[in-house]
Amino acid sequence: MTPTHHPGEAWLLDYALGHLSELHEAVLRAHVSVCSACRERIAFAERLGGEFLRALPAEPMHFTAADVCDHHEQAIGGNAILSRAHTPASGDIEEVVATWLDSSLEALPWRRLGRGLALCRLGETDDARMWLLRGAPGTVLPTHTHAGSELTLVLKGAYFCGNTIYGAGDLEDADESTEHQPVITRDGECICLAVTEGRLRFRDWAPRLLQPFVGI
Amino acid sequence: MSNVVKLPGEPLDATAAERAAETSLLEQVRDSGDRAAFEKLFAIFTPRLLAWMRAQGTDVAAAESVVQEVMITAWTRAALFDAGKASARTWMYTLARNRLIDHHRGGARRARAHDDFTTLAPGPEDTGEAPEREWNSSRMADLLGELPVEQREILLLVYVEGHSHRAIAERLGLPIGTVKSRTRLAFNRLRKRLEEIE
Repeated sequence: MTPTHHPGEAWLLDYALGHLSELHEAVLRAHVSVCSACRERIAFAERLGGEFLRALPAEPMHFTAADVCDHHEQAIGGNAILSRAHTPASGDIEEVVATWLDSSLEALPWRRLGRGLALCRLGETDDARMWLLRGAPGTVLPTHTHAGSELTLVLKGAYFCGNTIYGAGDLEDADESTEHQPVITRDGECICLAVTEGRLRFRDWAPRLLQPFVGI
Repeated sequence: MSNVVKLPGEPLDATAAERAAETSLLEQVRDSGDRAAFEKLFAIFTPRLLAWMRAQGTDVAAAESVVQEVMITAWTRAALFDAGKASARTWMYTLARNRLIDHHRGGARRARAHDDFTTLAPGPEDTGEAPEREWNSSRMADLLGELPVEQREILLLVYVEGHSHRAIAERLGLPIGTVKSRTRLAFNRLRKRLEEIE
């Protein structure tokens, strides 16, 4: 699996520098674990961090190297030195997310929405929601825009938006400026993990009517 | 390009030599627990780590505590340093970044009352003596100076002050798409330039 669609640099920098909320961090970590191109970009972001650090003007310190060397019995966590360009995942993206959720995707509490779609809500913070969406082959989702960002990671199958196809491991980076109508390919069902800020804005009245009931 | 300026800086090979020297010091700490080498690393990085923590809105006491933990990690975990994966400065940055993430997730909130570090970036409009003096020992100053001011501003807010791109859009009153595209241009340009240099 070699992803061909990636988060933009702004997301990767936020990820590399630890500026993301828990939900955004989780979806990016899953993509990064199967994407060598993004791991390499994150390694560069960290390298740039080292250059920025080195370039900063010095501030006076009130402790010495001896204080550090002579009092180093403090326990330091094992992850203290880890790069965020993590080592590759051993399995595919579906396994990565299933391991993280500690559940097979099949065993999750899916809620059927009709029209070949099912939804499973995974988490919510003040400004974002994480959910899984699965669709039968050939399903056409309603055209919508967003009130904020939407990161969609394909776990299984594939979907089209216009002429672009997103397959397993790909991450679609959408925001307020994106209007799209995902169409699931005809060769198999598609499961996606999405983190969405704000409500989706549907162009048609039917999904808008249903929106309060399905919580998207 | 009107925004490109040439700032006083060291020759290209001087920065590479400086980076290699730091890495060599850390290898001496790793291989033989060389205390003199650690003291040199301490003198280079500790004051800059403190500056960085302070720029992120961390108060002096917390910043010193975090920096001390970072330096303890560098001293006690140097065995894990691999010069094939990162330079010493990247490794130090990674330690500090991880420790700062833990610190923030531990409930400490950012005060954000500290000086605006964006003013330290040298650029066409920044000809004051102090910023130039403070940055001119660094090749980064030259590279940042090559970026259009609006791209440089984004990188400084991200790297130095520690804002997310969403927070930067709000702070600068810009559409998020504008912040994203400036980030992309700045990141890719710096990457290209650093690859050209090395």
